[in-house]
Amino acid sequence: MGVAYKAVQWNRQKFVYDIILLSTVVFYLFCFEGISLQFSSDLDLKGIWIRAFGSAAFILLHVILSIGPLSRLSAKFLPLLYNRRHMGVTMFILALLHARDALAWYHDFGNLEPIVSLFVSNTHYADFVRFPFEALGGVALVILFLMAATSHDFWLTNLTAPVWKALHMGVYLAYGLLVGHVVLGALETNTHPFLTLAVGVGFVWIVGIHLMTSLREAQKDGAPLFGKPAKAQVDADGFVHVGSVQDIPENRAKIAVIAGERVAIFKYDGQISAISNVCQHQNGPLGEGKVVDGCITCPWHGYQYLPDSGISPPPFTEKIPTFNVKLQGDQILVSAKPNLPGTPVVPAVIGQV
Amino acid sequence: MSSLDPQDEFFIGYLGVPPRLKRFLLGFIPILVLSVLAFAFILPPLHFDHFNLGKRTKVPEFEGLLVGEPSPHLLVPRTGEVGTASDFSLYLLSGTGKTSPKPKVLEHVNQWVKLKGTPFHRNHLTVIATKSAEPMEPPTPESAQPAESSSLGEFSLTGEIVDGKCYPGVMKPGRTKTHRSCAIRCLSGGVPPVFVVHNQVGDKLYFLLSDLDGKAVNDKVLDLVADPVQITGEVIQYADAFVLKADPATYKLL
Repeated sequence: MGVAYKAVQWNRQKFVYDIILLSTVVFYLFCFEGISLQFSSDLDLKGIWIRAFGSAAFILLHVILSIGPLSRLSAKFLPLLYNRRHMGVTMFILALLHARDALAWYHDFGNLEPIVSLFVSNTHYADFVRFPFEALGGVALVILFLMAATSHDFWLTNLTAPVWKALHMGVYLAYGLLVGHVVLGALETNTHPFLTLAVGVGFVWIVGIHLMTSLREAQKDGAPLFGKPAKAQVDADGFVHVGSVQDIPENRAKIAVIAGERVAIFKYDGQISAISNVCQHQNGPLGEGKVVDGCITCPWHGYQYLPDSGISPPPFTEKIPTFNVKLQGDQILVSAKPNLPGTPVVPAVIGQV
Repeated sequence: MSSLDPQDEFFIGYLGVPPRLKRFLLGFIPILVLSVLAFAFILPPLHFDHFNLGKRTKVPEFEGLLVGEPSPHLLVPRTGEVGTASDFSLYLLSGTGKTSPKPKVLEHVNQWVKLKGTPFHRNHLTVIATKSAEPMEPPTPESAQPAESSSLGEFSLTGEIVDGKCYPGVMKPGRTKTHRSCAIRCLSGGVPPVFVVHNQVGDKLYFLLSDLDGKAVNDKVLDLVADPVQITGEVIQYADAFVLKADPATYKLL
């Protein structure tokens, strides 16, 4: 956690993750070249590598974009999310190699600088079918570069998690641009139905799984599909009823939406504590975490907080808002107003009147 | 229950993977990896025009008549019995980049030359990426001027304008949308444009393009490359090639 910055804080899981990731990518690239050579020994090999890098990056982007929603649908996929940033940086490097080779091959050795040629050779920016697809790829590459360059926790802390997260949501804009890049470029040249089908299925999958996840989240939050969500009933003391003690498994949490914000209400050691649902690291959903060794543990990267103060155990220094909590019988009441991050709160003791 | 409850597994990256989750991952990750790798086997055979016959050949030197218009080309006498076919083969000339041959080569236009370069050919279309040319004596006095061209009449043809260097084999596919920008660079640099037409039985026919004055059309067709185009004009048999003579302003984008 946030003590000292290292290039990468390695552990066994990250090694295994990266070995599988990189060996798959390398194997993909050489299989792509090898299979191509099976059909002809007289190939434009530069062209083959441009396509190998480009297709690898596009496929990897689909995997990356699937991990988030899959992890929301089932905790079984969380190990894929754990080191997803390395997958993102790998995808950017593949996209960069694709761009470097395409720029050299198609735009160099002529009467213009290659980067100028990329944007001015085909000028049909107002025509859908003849649109210069290269420009879409170029803009997407800039977004992917910004994401890769700021992927380290140094930037996460210094930009703050909400800003960092907003920047990294740019991946969806990049994905849209890259779908356009592929449809208006490769698919216009190569009209084989399998390619069109594969890109179409990939797009429907990505949109579909995100919609499905959003609907499920809205359902869990009790929010209607359309219109404003119903406001929680706040009592005279400023508390909101969030349910029964029996609703929450031991060492786990229930997530309730209070004043438009998600709050994680944990049950552990015969007590109830409520904290913000948002992990300070990457804004992971703490309410889907677990109390481990007395600490609320984020399901994404294992960041930990003490349930009665929202502070990470020493030597770590992260702090998140806490909420006052009380019990009426087995019914849980949580304050509608959060306390400042790191404010100690006395847990409600189950069974104590 | 405790945090170590085996029924309530919880993954923490730095602590290792719980057993039931590990079993799931040992099944899921190989499927994911194999699904990704499958594309490395499926995609290459689907590649458009990648396995065409465009080839680089190892003939380092040619002897022939260097001609400048409509686009730079070399007329090379055919050896052996040619029957009713032309006595000359036409080879297009480009520079080593996306360019026309160097001025040092073009200063020998209308002379017989020994020309060095790298030839690429696809079907019966050949381009030589020219490095140098030295003047030489014509092999025989009567071969100093090749046979005259002859008109075959006016035709309306549908095809695609490509650059005469990448299409024969420098790049594959060397045509259509992904190649559009490269073709624009090539043609604006002086590489000869070629009009590719498929006839009714699927044969490929290649036409050099010329305006009504017999000059190159490069800069006038940049906006029309890599798209289906209809050109109506006079077809001229020239050596073993065809020239399509028409005003570029009348080319129709389909």
